[in-house]
Amino acid sequence: MSGAGFENLKTLIVEDNAHMRSLLRALLNSAGIKDIADAPNGVAAIHMLRERKSDLVLTDMAMQPMDGIEFTRHVRTSDASPNPFVPIIMITGHTEKHRVEAARDAGVTELLAKPITAANLFSRIAEIVERPRAFVRSDNYFGPDRRRHQPEDYAGPWRRSGDFQDASVQ
Amino acid sequence: MTEKSARIIPPGSYPQMLSRADAARAMRTLRAPETAARAALVMENSRPALRAAVLALVARMEQAGADMARVHETVREIRGMAETAGLASTGRIAEVLCRYMDDMARIGHPPDQTITALHVSAIARAARAEKDDARMGERVAAELAALVSRKLTEARGGPGAQP
Repeated sequence: MSGAGFENLKTLIVEDNAHMRSLLRALLNSAGIKDIADAPNGVAAIHMLRERKSDLVLTDMAMQPMDGIEFTRHVRTSDASPNPFVPIIMITGHTEKHRVEAARDAGVTELLAKPITAANLFSRIAEIVERPRAFVRSDNYFGPDRRRHQPEDYAGPWRRSGDFQDASVQ
Repeated sequence: MTEKSARIIPPGSYPQMLSRADAARAMRTLRAPETAARAALVMENSRPALRAAVLALVARMEQAGADMARVHETVREIRGMAETAGLASTGRIAEVLCRYMDDMARIGHPPDQTITALHVSAIARAARAEKDDARMGERVAAELAALVSRKLTEARGGPGAQP
């Protein structure tokens, strides 16, 4: 049973703090996720993604020289991105509304607030496995559908003026 | 495509993290009591190293003195790591200082050095305490938060602001 289901999963941890990197790796290992690479910042992570396929990315928000938000935006929108659909869990101690919105607008799949607990980390991974999100491509956004509980066949009315008005299923 | 138009790409149309068969097995693994037990052990075993790292950050923050940018940067790291290290009080007080410094930056004022020094000292005491006293930490954090709230009101020129 140990690790069943995760044998083929390739994960990338992007975190500048070596202790937190080590903790995340050990927590993933405890769930049987063994194929893990890591990078200390967004720039290194982009190189890593080009060299090695990744099925799941865990990234910190605050890093230098490229933070988690810019990294996520690059993964989602760069022509050079090897997998713009890769699930990205952003881990952050910055839970202020404007930062959460910036992360969401960059295209993160899940947000995990510090302090890190195993239950919270596993619940975010479970959410990705159990309820994969639709993606949205518009002029100014590409990433997971930010209207998390929107049924796929929902035709309106839209709750916010900024909601997509002629969303169409591909 | 206009700004208000969008194409929705359903989950079945792009590569998933796991195959359907692996996903079912992965969910059982994530929910298994033995996975939770292994993870709990990982958390417990990681605490001494994390705690040492927090203490090193606390020392760095104390050395920063009046360099507010360095204090701000370091206290953010402390906030991110302290509670994971089991230092709840340290984390709570660090959170108050982070919010104060964030808010002051947002309204374009430098943080008050005395207020900052008070927090730095409280964070250092909490981090170096033999045992994390969560109740005491809550009290200290609440008192500091009340002080910060008054100072922010003053900085914004609100009611009760000193000339």
